[in-house]
Amino acid sequence: MTQVKKIIASGLTEAEAIERAKGGDAECFEALYGLHKRRVYSLCLRMTGNTAEAEDLTQEAFLQLYRKIATFRGESAFSTWLHRLSVNVVLMHLRKKGLPEVSLDEALEPQHEDGPRKDIGARDNVLAGSIDRVNLERAIESLPPGYRIIFVLHDIEGYEHNEIAEMMGCSIGNSKSQLHKARMKLRDLLKLSRAEKAARR
Amino acid sequence: MNCHKFQEVLPYIIETGGDAEEEGHLQTCPHCAELVQDLKYIATQAKLLLPMHDPSPRVWTGIAQALHHQGTIPEGRTSLRGQIMSFPSQAKSWTPMGWALVAVFLMVFSLLLINYRPHLPESQSSAQNMSAQPVALESDDQQLMARVSQRAPDVRQAYEDSLREVNTYITDAQQAVDQDPEDAVAREQLLDAYQQKEMLYEMATARTLP
Repeated sequence: MTQVKKIIASGLTEAEAIERAKGGDAECFEALYGLHKRRVYSLCLRMTGNTAEAEDLTQEAFLQLYRKIATFRGESAFSTWLHRLSVNVVLMHLRKKGLPEVSLDEALEPQHEDGPRKDIGARDNVLAGSIDRVNLERAIESLPPGYRIIFVLHDIEGYEHNEIAEMMGCSIGNSKSQLHKARMKLRDLLKLSRAEKAARR
Repeated sequence: MNCHKFQEVLPYIIETGGDAEEEGHLQTCPHCAELVQDLKYIATQAKLLLPMHDPSPRVWTGIAQALHHQGTIPEGRTSLRGQIMSFPSQAKSWTPMGWALVAVFLMVFSLLLINYRPHLPESQSSAQNMSAQPVALESDDQQLMARVSQRAPDVRQAYEDSLREVNTYITDAQQAVDQDPEDAVAREQLLDAYQQKEMLYEMATARTLP
């Protein structure tokens, strides 16, 4: 039986594991890793769209967790707190890569050719009922980084525009605008994917 | 109001709804109504996406090594992998019945992989959409739930919800594989979905077996 299983078998709750991890208990920290690794890694992967980067960022997020866990006061759920910490790790990394070098609003703006087309013209069939999770995941991965980050934070992770604006250092209006463009671009990608599949049949 | 003006304000009104003029345009313009319907559909489906990717074991190895260098974790602990799930105090007591259940599950999974149908008839293609509601429990699932109800009724609902979610994930991944049998990502997600279900069965079995 591994140490983690002993922790489970001994009946420790997550709250108790957190308290022990605060005291430096490495086994409880490992148990917390086991509990939250999937959510943290999925977040990193969706925000970066790159497996190697996501792994590095997951590692960095949990190392920061180890350093900062003593400051967790239980004012929010532990998963919420860790999630926010992880988002900050990813955003910090993306900033280092150059996203907000000049003006955050401008830097978040994808190149024109990557953006969604205007939707004034011929009608097409609605998407409802025609997309599955795999296609949606793939389309999100194809989004330009600026769109992808806002879309992941708002539509998947459930952050509000004011929270995103605070994290990203942009205006609420900019967050709304970027989200809209992201959804428009996704709509284009999903319709294109649907058309390609229909053509193959 | 024309379509151009409506779409200019759309980012700011899509969640809250617009004023009378904007709502009026939506009532009379099928093109913009379709657009709004699509955008809301995308947002709804995105909320249903689960964290479905596990990091490779080298991530924990890296963390453990870094902590070891700081003198926090004793050497030799880098091979451990956290496997705790969201059901605390589960005791894993493997019995022949437990192994049999897992073996049956793996056999069913193998048969499904071998017997997938590369192309569905056109009439079935309309069913190939993302299930907004989790799919029903299979008979094996119902038997498992019956055992969990008997032995650990307090966690029955949590297991049932998780099973429904994972069944939905399996259905979606299977549909993706059916649509494109060469799609490695879809096959990986199908495998991942079945592994999640296997894990649920392991946990439920460990909890309910005497």
